[in-house]
Amino acid sequence: MGVTCVCQVPILEGKSVQQTVDMLHKKLEQLGAVKQGSFFVDCETYHATSNASGKKRQPSKLLYVMHNSETPLSCLALFEGGPYLTADVNFDVLMVKLKSHFQNAKGHKVESRGTRYRYCDFLVKVGTVTMSSSARGISVEVEYCACVVPGDCWNLMKEFMQSFLGSNVPELPSVFAAKPEGLYAPVDCMDTMVQYLELFSKVRKQQVIPGASVR
Amino acid sequence: MEAPPVTVMPVTGGTINMMEYLLQGSVLDQALDSLLHRLRGLCDNMEPESFADHELVYLLKGQQGNPFMLRARRSLAHPTAPWHLRYLGQPEVGDKSRHALVRNCVDVAASHSLPDFLNEMGFRMDHEFVAKGHVFRKGALKVVVSKVSRVLVPGNTDNIEPLSLSYLVELSVLAPAGQDTVSEDMRSFAEQLKPLVHLEKIDPKRV
Repeated sequence: MGVTCVCQVPILEGKSVQQTVDMLHKKLEQLGAVKQGSFFVDCETYHATSNASGKKRQPSKLLYVMHNSETPLSCLALFEGGPYLTADVNFDVLMVKLKSHFQNAKGHKVESRGTRYRYCDFLVKVGTVTMSSSARGISVEVEYCACVVPGDCWNLMKEFMQSFLGSNVPELPSVFAAKPEGLYAPVDCMDTMVQYLELFSKVRKQQVIPGASVR
Repeated sequence: MEAPPVTVMPVTGGTINMMEYLLQGSVLDQALDSLLHRLRGLCDNMEPESFADHELVYLLKGQQGNPFMLRARRSLAHPTAPWHLRYLGQPEVGDKSRHALVRNCVDVAASHSLPDFLNEMGFRMDHEFVAKGHVFRKGALKVVVSKVSRVLVPGNTDNIEPLSLSYLVELSVLAPAGQDTVSEDMRSFAEQLKPLVHLEKIDPKRV
């Protein structure tokens, strides 16, 4: 896996989510990107029940359990701001066992699904972000597979993103800058998930787009 | 739309409802060599595998009910290997005719951030120990012969003291719920280890 940047793309004025996604697809195809299947990233929210001993921390932090189709046998568990845990999918079974201590906030499940494109060393995933079956926004993930050090390739990635996102190119993801070793620390899959988690949290707080139910 | 194999994967996966069938016993230190010799003869022909593990037992205490227990294990011999997190359910009361202790079991491989993560979830470490020993396999059967030592200074696995003058012997199988025939296989295997070691169904609650 390489350096990855996840950002939210605003919906074009007067267009629907689907129409904006189609526009992005068209731009990528014009560039010469090739469709390569689909992808999903999902996120479940758990909160500690009063039964759990979160006495000292009030209110207790939310626990997020995420999956990424890119790593189908892994399960990623995160607290906002850390710590983060990479585990195998049996962690989902464990959460079921823990249900008297951690409750799944069913209505809070957010996911992003869409098409996966490859353009040379870049992997681009354009996803529709949905929450309780209503489309809430668009996510774009760009991965530069040839490099694991953000400081070495950020400018290149930015230039590539400009070619199809125009002025919507995001700033350097804070997850890279926040590392104690700075921009020259190698990335791991958790950096991608932290970015998705940030995007999902933003989307969750957002107003529902009227009439934007999926399919 | 074209769907690649990845989307076929269930969103929530894992192996649901695996049971651990367990028999336990012990041998004195002096008898270790003859037991290992016997096991080498009985078990699958493989390179002798020894291990040194550090296990931390975590509890999540609720306002009511029993605390929730998780076991986190890491290898001292392979410090870069993933941690192993294990949940063990209450032993099934079941019928007396069953030859082994049966309990629900969830095994999770996890990254090295596991202790921090469990702390954040509200778990607190209850006790820790070091287990050093040998693993044998015969098909699905697993035999673990290990020396359990207490950790004298919390977190320091160099400073340990054996709990007893004997080795713990465990015969276990992981199988989906309802496959009680495995307990038969275990019993006949345990028979073959007599009189070197007597493996029994031991209820941890009664110890």
